[in-house]
Amino acid sequence: MNCQKFESVVSELARGRMMAVAQRDEALAHRDACERCAARLRDEEMLTRGLQSLAAEMETLSAPVEVENKLLEAFRTRDVVATPLASRRSNVSYWLVAVAAMLLIAVAVVALRWNAGRVDQPQQAVKQAQPQPKQENNNLAEELAVNVSDRGNSLPVRSKPPKRIHPTTLRRPASVPVANVANSEIATDFIPLRYTSAASLQDGGQIVRVELPRSALANFGLPVNMDRYNERVKADVLVGVDGLAHAIRFVQ
Amino acid sequence: MNLKNELSDSDLLRSMLAGDEEALALLYRRRQGGIYRFALQMSGSKAIAEDVTQEVFLFLMREGHVFDPARGSVSAFLLGVARNYVLRRLRVEHLLAPLGDDADDDAPFLHATTDLCPLEDLTRAETIESVRKAVLSLPSKYREVVVLCELQDISYVETAEILGCAIGTIRSRLHRARALLQEKLRPAAQVEETGSASVKSARCFA
Repeated sequence: MNCQKFESVVSELARGRMMAVAQRDEALAHRDACERCAARLRDEEMLTRGLQSLAAEMETLSAPVEVENKLLEAFRTRDVVATPLASRRSNVSYWLVAVAAMLLIAVAVVALRWNAGRVDQPQQAVKQAQPQPKQENNNLAEELAVNVSDRGNSLPVRSKPPKRIHPTTLRRPASVPVANVANSEIATDFIPLRYTSAASLQDGGQIVRVELPRSALANFGLPVNMDRYNERVKADVLVGVDGLAHAIRFVQ
Repeated sequence: MNLKNELSDSDLLRSMLAGDEEALALLYRRRQGGIYRFALQMSGSKAIAEDVTQEVFLFLMREGHVFDPARGSVSAFLLGVARNYVLRRLRVEHLLAPLGDDADDDAPFLHATTDLCPLEDLTRAETIESVRKAVLSLPSKYREVVVLCELQDISYVETAEILGCAIGTIRSRLHRARALLQEKLRPAAQVEETGSASVKSARCFA
């Protein structure tokens, strides 16, 4: 046995606890050979004696008689027995309420996620169904229409509009092709706003659909039909990652 | 009465829960000493020890049905409850380090009862007092192991049941606790040795 192993058994040895005879003999042999471990064992034995003295000193101590009398009195009056039954009932009702609340929360979360899933699926379907604009459909579109996806190669713009699509707007009859709806819009080129530069669009951005007074067309040098001056016109605003509007295009 | 004396703790508890006052009295007399001493050794306060003893048996009257014989003995169950009450009480009263000169009120349980001569008796009482203080100054997780294993002489297995941890944990905590106790008790012994050495050298010079 070495000093390390002796250290692991010295407490048991000093306390006189049961241990394997061979292990005990080895430990005692090591104690005889190693002065340091012998001193260590003496310290442990001294501590054990001190603790045993303290235990012996307190062995006869017990609670005062008044404690027993109070307990028996309480038992006779049944106060302490009656109370817990009520508290157990209240505990049961508490747990029932807690479980019911957790179930409600779980159902609500599942319902919300299910609704969100229903919104996302048609939105993706619309995107996938949107074809590239066909030039032969409309000559005006050939001149003016610039699909955002066409510009996607040269400009890293995220085409997903941030506007949330309400599920009811997507519930259209299956016979109506979604692509037609997308192709029915005609848009101008993006008109850069004055305080931006093309370099600031390298990081991408978002296109936000807005409505403006038709008079706003004049601000960008576009002709305005004075008969429809008070009407509104749709426009897509290109918002950069810095939150600033970088460009605008008008949609018909 | 004699027949009931032979009943096990579990049987007494069952009778008590059925409304048998005598069973409660018997169970109390059988187990109150260990609980009271445990609380006293853990807290160093007689008042806390009395309160805890009372609380433990009140708990037993109210919630005795939660005792599960498969998880340990009634004695271990009661000591486990007592431990919770003691720790809660110490936390509330900020008595985690209750030692000091103002603890005289709680010290008189140390009394000379031996046949030794007065000086030896005094030395023994001082030794016991210093050990008591050292035990009380241990962190609670070490103190409870020392109290249960060393002072209450409870086995590792039962201590593990009371504290709700593995036997290996009990062993390692006890080992660490004893090392801490030796550290706490060593300075006094070293001062004593240094003092005696200086006296010897003074005599040499004389």
